[in-house]
Amino acid sequence: MKDISTSINKVDNDEKTSGQAKYVADIKLEGMLYAFTVRAKIVKGKILNIEYPLLPEGYFVVDYRDIPGQNIVKVIFNDMPVFTEKEITYLYEPIALLIGPDKNVLSKLIEAVHIVYQEDEPLFDWTDSVVHYHFDKGEGKRAFSGKKIIEFNYETSYQEQAYIEPQGFIGYMDKEKVTLIGSIQCPYYVKKAVVQALGEREQNVRIIQANVGGAFGGKEEFPSLIGCQLAVALKKIKKPIQLIYEREEDMLVTTKRHPSRVHFKAAIKDNKIYALSADVGIDGGANIGLSGVVLSRALIACTGVYTIEHLDISGDVFRTNTVPNGAFRGFGAPQMFFAIEMFIEHVALELKVNPLEFKKDILAKQGDYTSTMGIFRDPVLMPLMIKKAMEVSNYQEKRTKYDALDSYKGIGMSWFFHGCGFTGSGEKNIIKAKVRLKKVFETVEILIAAVDMGQGVKTTFRKLVANILNIDIEQVIFNNPDTDAVPDSGPTVASRTMMIVGGLVARATVEVKKRWAEEKFIVEKEYEQPSYIKYDEEKFKGDAYPAYSWGVNVVEVEVDKFTYQVKINKSWSFYDIGKAIDERIVIGQADGGLAQGLAYGYLEVMNHKQGKIMQKNMTDYIIPTAMDMCPMETYLYENPYAYGPYGAKGVGELSLIGGAPAVAKAIEQAIKRRVFKIPVTPEYIMELIKNG
Amino acid sequence: MAKIKFKLNNQFVEMETDPNRRLLDVLRDDFNLTGPKEGCGEGECGACAVLMNHEIVNSCCTPLANIIEKEIITIEGFSKTKKFEVIKDAYAKTGGVQCGFCTPGMIIATESLLNKNPHPTDFEIKIGLSGNLCRCTGYNLIIEAVKEAAKAGDGLW
Amino acid sequence: MVEAFIPKDLDECLRILSERKVRIVAGGTDMLIQNRSHTGMSIGYRNDVLYINNLNELKNIYEDDAFVYIGAALSLEKIMQSDIVPKLLKDTILEMASPAIRHTATLAGNIGNASPAGDSLVSLYLMDAELEIRSINNTRRVFLKDFIKGVRKIALESDELITKVIIPKLVFEKAYFKKVGPRLSDAISKLSFAGAYQTYNNRITDIRIAFGAVNITVVRDRVLEKKLLGKKVEEIKEMMDLIISWYDPLILPIDDQRSNKVYRKEVSFNLLREFVRNLN
Repeated sequence: MKDISTSINKVDNDEKTSGQAKYVADIKLEGMLYAFTVRAKIVKGKILNIEYPLLPEGYFVVDYRDIPGQNIVKVIFNDMPVFTEKEITYLYEPIALLIGPDKNVLSKLIEAVHIVYQEDEPLFDWTDSVVHYHFDKGEGKRAFSGKKIIEFNYETSYQEQAYIEPQGFIGYMDKEKVTLIGSIQCPYYVKKAVVQALGEREQNVRIIQANVGGAFGGKEEFPSLIGCQLAVALKKIKKPIQLIYEREEDMLVTTKRHPSRVHFKAAIKDNKIYALSADVGIDGGANIGLSGVVLSRALIACTGVYTIEHLDISGDVFRTNTVPNGAFRGFGAPQMFFAIEMFIEHVALELKVNPLEFKKDILAKQGDYTSTMGIFRDPVLMPLMIKKAMEVSNYQEKRTKYDALDSYKGIGMSWFFHGCGFTGSGEKNIIKAKVRLKKVFETVEILIAAVDMGQGVKTTFRKLVANILNIDIEQVIFNNPDTDAVPDSGPTVASRTMMIVGGLVARATVEVKKRWAEEKFIVEKEYEQPSYIKYDEEKFKGDAYPAYSWGVNVVEVEVDKFTYQVKINKSWSFYDIGKAIDERIVIGQADGGLAQGLAYGYLEVMNHKQGKIMQKNMTDYIIPTAMDMCPMETYLYENPYAYGPYGAKGVGELSLIGGAPAVAKAIEQAIKRRVFKIPVTPEYIMELIKNG
Repeated sequence: MAKIKFKLNNQFVEMETDPNRRLLDVLRDDFNLTGPKEGCGEGECGACAVLMNHEIVNSCCTPLANIIEKEIITIEGFSKTKKFEVIKDAYAKTGGVQCGFCTPGMIIATESLLNKNPHPTDFEIKIGLSGNLCRCTGYNLIIEAVKEAAKAGDGLW
Repeated sequence: MVEAFIPKDLDECLRILSERKVRIVAGGTDMLIQNRSHTGMSIGYRNDVLYINNLNELKNIYEDDAFVYIGAALSLEKIMQSDIVPKLLKDTILEMASPAIRHTATLAGNIGNASPAGDSLVSLYLMDAELEIRSINNTRRVFLKDFIKGVRKIALESDELITKVIIPKLVFEKAYFKKVGPRLSDAISKLSFAGAYQTYNNRITDIRIAFGAVNITVVRDRVLEKKLLGKKVEEIKEMMDLIISWYDPLILPIDDQRSNKVYRKEVSFNLLREFVRNLN
């Protein structure tokens, strides 16, 4: 039998290259109506009156009055209405759907909706803390007294997921059953949200995943909002309805990566970091939603890959009158790793010591305590990876060479990890993943809710099962999840799919193997938390994650001395992901994650002006083209995790995290200035150079 | 309304319709050719790309009035060719496909490029793909796929 | 619903223009975006439109001793591939658009659009490009600089059509276009610069400087350029600060979602300095 890591062709290559793969907008249903969203035109205030135009026959308004259940979208923190009733808390907040058969008519009707508002003063400053966390390690605050202090501030801005396929659903009533087909990461999130909004019985809500044209977290919780809206409309109108966003609507109203501000303070003793304090703020936008969880992942990552004994960490989610922010690949970690990677380097420079040695000295080792007093239980391969990184990238030599004042070249290196799976006891207490395998004669069907959104789940899961059973991959069936057919194996998020769901599937497959002689049977497995994982969410104490994936990125850049434009010439990446279930798929993910991470660091600009997103289309929101990306060399390290299938850990998010600090550090060297915020745009570089 | 005559995937087509419609909508709605996708609707992402007289164009910014007497080939039509087989296999071999939404456009861009330049350099490949956005791959494996196709299909273009 | 006219030949086209008030659409790459409605709906033009992309009379390219004549409906790609088109224009086209756009967009369209960020305009201003403009009863020739009146404002009568872009044949020692975009390809410029010069016996006989996206239209000042004629290259280099101060009042960029005015101005000057520094 071949090593599982040996690559095979992706099972969906042919249907995707030939254009046969159906995405939600490709599905047309007989008698289908279209839905347009009526949105608030003010940033904050109240609706005093809405006057809808006279609707022609066959046209409908659907708003909060039509919601049979609760007017709240079930996310994690439930504070987002399906349709706002009165209160407007951000620009373009959804008020109603206008539905009918002809878009020409709808576009005229929507212009004719007349809304009278009472406008209030919007809040954009980060003053309204709606989630506050604090935790200590070691001596906490006391560790700072009487010591030399070094402190800096770091800032990150929005990032838009920019999946190439915008958000959307199509839905229909199947007798009493509300059925939604959508571009989603989490079929059961949508189902639970719809059940609550409709006050409906579970069996009357069915969610089917269409092929997903990219997601990156953007289709984690946001689809629950529009899924609920569409479900309410379906209950009322009882005809098939399509609700598909166009790019501009998608960019103006969907969730984005939280902008962040981090104030780091280091207490110095014997020219080393004795204690670290972090004060972290993230902009939640108008709703809290997932923001608290994003913040907690960020806080837990506050020490980066370093072991620091004394910590005093606090953070806040601020509510502002801006578009709600939410999940995006990395989930708080990219913000924090940018900040900590820059800070440790800046501290070393302040102390006039070699940053590399300074960092190596405090690099976490197996057995060390994490920021939350959990333990890094598995071997940490970072020293090996760093050594290799420096060798293949010729790091030292280039570092020295580019130190020349007029080089305008730089090489930067970042070290990072990602906690795999949900934070803390989320898997055990909230998700409780279930998987099912159905064996029928010579075939096995994988029944899970995991979504292939490009990361290759369809291929890797079939391969996993086929490999364990030593059967042909053609004998393994995996269809897009349909909540009527698959159990709730949890959302496709948090780099948990292969490690957690794949781990369960592997265990179920082993049982199938034992019973192979039987003709037809079903095996089910439910998640059991490794016994050593104990985590106190309130106190931030214990093992926040069962395992960690680790990474090193090296990036070489060139800055144009006249235009301050950055060109990335080459990158080298080193990842410990336990075990690759398919090497080429992992490399594809790694390249794509790094591209997003690099672009987050230097290219992608998004901001709001008085609550309005300024880059509302792909013309103004700049993501990399083939011209912008550099050749990427990737090295994978095996370091099996006991509970992952074949030892696999998380892959998806890891590769995004190190890009921004690596590119920022490379730019620092090229321009001989310190960088404190991302993206490091040409405008910012100019400012840094001019201000000396 | 006007009479619009063109060749679509090797068939002559004549339709009486509004010439102010976008080619993309006509392909998707009237011919159920859903391989071309709408990603941005403004010529930035290339997901809607088709071949017009064997050259890549964005069907989202092509008015129907501009395709009169032209030959349009969508991914559905192109996928019936030997060249497609070579490109498809190259994408499989290098892992150039992830979510797949940009893929039909990328394949069209690949064909348009190789058609003009059967042996492109890395830089020429990057230029050839520069109007097609992909958010999943970071482009490297797609660039590899184009190189692989050029190699495997040597003589075809 | 607005009406669409698709003339079969230029005569019919000019006749329609003489009778109806229409918007002219060439490649459509920009007009469709400006008039976008919704997926599945017709383009949301507010006026009747006239499509000129099918007119073969507008797709030729030829030269005489003094000029290159480019038909208004010729695609950027075809222009780029022509042997008789100046290299500066080809370089500009390569930088300004992706292959898919190049295959349909036209030079005349970019001109008619009169966007402050229109890349081709910068090089065309630099080369003193002219336009042939026709109406049913008249053919006139106008300098591009006199044709563009402001942001999306052009001196075109409602019965007129740009039929040719006319580029003088020039000899430069060096001529280049520099696009400063937010990424390396396929994006709207934050600013752009074009410079060209010719020397004889180490003295400047022709020097041209143009900036894009830093004012309502391309910045080029012939009076300032004239002040440099006849001077030695070294002399000009010593005038650097003075030259910058000449252009200072002309470079009036704005803050927008793509960049800011400080950057646009600073980088414009950097590129100007670099151009002057490299004169030889």
